[in-house]
Amino acid sequence: MKKTILIADDSESVREVVSFTLINAGYNVLVGVDGEDAMKFLDGKEIHLVITDLHMPKKDGIALIKEIRGKSEYQYVPILFLTTESQAAKKDEAKAAGATGWIVKPFVPEKLISTIEKVIR
Amino acid sequence: MDRFKAVFFEEATTLINELERVSLLLHNNPSDSSIIEQIFRIMHTLKGNSTMFGFYRIGDFTHHFETLYDFIREDKMSVTDNVLNITFASVDHLRVLLTDVELENSVHKINHENLIRGLIEVLNGASVEGSIKTHSSDHKIEDKVSDTPTYWLKFVPEKDLVRKGTNVLFLLDDLSQLGVTYTVSNIERLPDFKKLDPADIYIHWEIYVSGNITENSIRDVFMFVEEDCELEIRKISETNLLDQDGFSTIARDISLSIDEKISKFSGLVNNSSSKNRMEEVRSKIEKANEKSIVTSKDNSISSIRVASEKLDELMSLVSELVTTQARLNLVSDQIASSELISISENIEKITRQLRDNTFSICLIPIENLLVRFQRLVRDLSTQLNKDVVFVSEGTDTELDKNIIENLADPLMHIFRNSLDHGIESGEERVKKGKPAQGKILLKAFYSGNNVIIQIRDDGKGIDPEVIRQKAISKGLITADQNLDRRQIFDLIFLPGFSTAEKVTEVSGRGVGMDVVKRQITEIRGEVEVESVINEGTTINIKLPLTLSIIDGMLVKINATHFVIPLGNVDKCFEAKHEEFVDKINDLIILDGEQVPFIYLRDEFDIKENCPQLHQVVVVKQDDRRVALSVDTIIGEYQAVLKPLGRLYKNVDVISGATILGNGEVALVVDPNRIIKEYIFNQINNEVLQ
Repeated sequence: MKKTILIADDSESVREVVSFTLINAGYNVLVGVDGEDAMKFLDGKEIHLVITDLHMPKKDGIALIKEIRGKSEYQYVPILFLTTESQAAKKDEAKAAGATGWIVKPFVPEKLISTIEKVIR
Repeated sequence: MDRFKAVFFEEATTLINELERVSLLLHNNPSDSSIIEQIFRIMHTLKGNSTMFGFYRIGDFTHHFETLYDFIREDKMSVTDNVLNITFASVDHLRVLLTDVELENSVHKINHENLIRGLIEVLNGASVEGSIKTHSSDHKIEDKVSDTPTYWLKFVPEKDLVRKGTNVLFLLDDLSQLGVTYTVSNIERLPDFKKLDPADIYIHWEIYVSGNITENSIRDVFMFVEEDCELEIRKISETNLLDQDGFSTIARDISLSIDEKISKFSGLVNNSSSKNRMEEVRSKIEKANEKSIVTSKDNSISSIRVASEKLDELMSLVSELVTTQARLNLVSDQIASSELISISENIEKITRQLRDNTFSICLIPIENLLVRFQRLVRDLSTQLNKDVVFVSEGTDTELDKNIIENLADPLMHIFRNSLDHGIESGEERVKKGKPAQGKILLKAFYSGNNVIIQIRDDGKGIDPEVIRQKAISKGLITADQNLDRRQIFDLIFLPGFSTAEKVTEVSGRGVGMDVVKRQITEIRGEVEVESVINEGTTINIKLPLTLSIIDGMLVKINATHFVIPLGNVDKCFEAKHEEFVDKINDLIILDGEQVPFIYLRDEFDIKENCPQLHQVVVVKQDDRRVALSVDTIIGEYQAVLKPLGRLYKNVDVISGATILGNGEVALVVDPNRIIKEYIFNQINNEVLQ
């Protein structure tokens, strides 16, 4: 059975690359253009993993993570956030908010998949 | 990856445009933290994307830029003029970087280096230590590994690790991928069943791994949970202990400390005979019933980006449909089957809706042009040392994207003129009792089927008398010619006028206004100047909403069809042929009013089959009315405008052609032109008299 991954990122190209990679790897992909947009998918449907950017308009990644953790159906869903090497402080903040792990940008598709496989299988 | 590069370019362009727009906001509110945050975010996204797609130069460049705004948002620096200048220069440079990725052009290269140096200087000016970090990945030189050493690790996860979405068993699973593992679970802390919270972790593990691994590769497994667990890793042997007899007995004894175990392990004989098959701790992955979830991508996106060629294609298909519909209409009339007629009418309704919808898709707000103008005003006013504020109104007014694209150049020209010649220097303005800061207003609004764009400045204005004198000296008009105010201002748009040297000094206008006029006429627009000395100048541009399809009235003169745009049609009358012949001043009485007329048969030189009764279509433009004589009026018609070939470039009164249902061509009359022409001829006649 295919696993479903929700991506929240305000960058179209990141969304494209990530979803393309994931679909090729056999996942179902849902796409939100920001945190607020992503939230609408969390309506009870089964989601196995959330990948979110941190800087986003409307609702940023940290707020999204907190909100997901606050929903009983999704409180244990793995959440990976997209980050760059330079954002150490953000990393802590995201972890404190309840993120499971992170994906360092830029990434190659293999790295992305192997990171995802760290948290869902 | 290539297929994404196009998306990257498109997105990067959008980001850069956005950056420019936001930077202009910053220019006006240098301390607005939300704007600074926005700039930082844009830069950050641009950096991430460009590095991901292999545009390292952009990545590197934006990295410095991002650092700059990071400092600003952390109050280590403030937004100075210098910062703003660098920001705008960077915006321009980023655009260059998108086209000249490798910096093959040496000018770009030098510019690139200068900008980076500039950025670094600004950053160093902030006297922040280590401001520009180089990405140093501290890859340790891998420990020299012997044949499958054995590591021991103790892994005590925090109780609530599961609550962060981590599946601890996955970690154990990952470890077993590294080599052979032997896992000892410690359940000492497991509470009474009643007190047990299934979401908490009470177990901790001691794990032995042997494989061709390093401590780092073990740490990698725990990368995400490093801070949420107690983790101890020790290399306990250079050889594979797990193969040894008696290993499991020692390992399983949780009462022993690791040091005690190590000494016991060392006592094990290197005897590989007994193949104590590993007890592998295999975690069960709980498989919930997976429902197949439909990817509802369509609902998730409220707007989509479409390549403009696709829209053009859509427009052209709709145009074809409109033409074909006309044909169907014709055929159904001929066959006179009521059923067919009702179908045809239905399709006509749908076609019309489809047409209108497609139109509205192709309409984009004028706002899209704004950033360029703001930028121009900022740059040019700085350059000219004038203080000018740019204000816009009604920028949500929409126009066909093709028109918008063609509008940028002429508008830029008008702005440049306003800034350069229209608005006076600060001192001059104060002397005249005006505020020192000049103002340029761009205002857009709908007016019937048209959009009006006004560009108004509060500069020194244009003296009509000066224009008149200039035109006389250029031989464009004669000294005794009586022109009204509007006609005088229209002279500015004459080609001969603008080529005059030094004209800018006296008139303040004129350079290339003929070009502006031509460009606007090409998109079927009209341009007009109004000016009051010392109060300012207003340029009015009137544009059609769209270019390709119009509602028209189909008329016929002899065998030729013409289409008159419905928007201009005021009223229709019937008149006898005699009323048009040999009339003094070409005036006809309609509804008791005198209306000037144009006898189109003369205009188009059609002599044959002149009917006794003419139809008269009164067209209106602004407050002017002119009657056009035609043979017959056929009815309303949706006309798909096709441009005329180059040969007809100079036929002003015809703006295009359209294909009728039966394949015939009808010419589309431009009433505005006809009215202008009429007035122009009147003037000339007056001059001749």
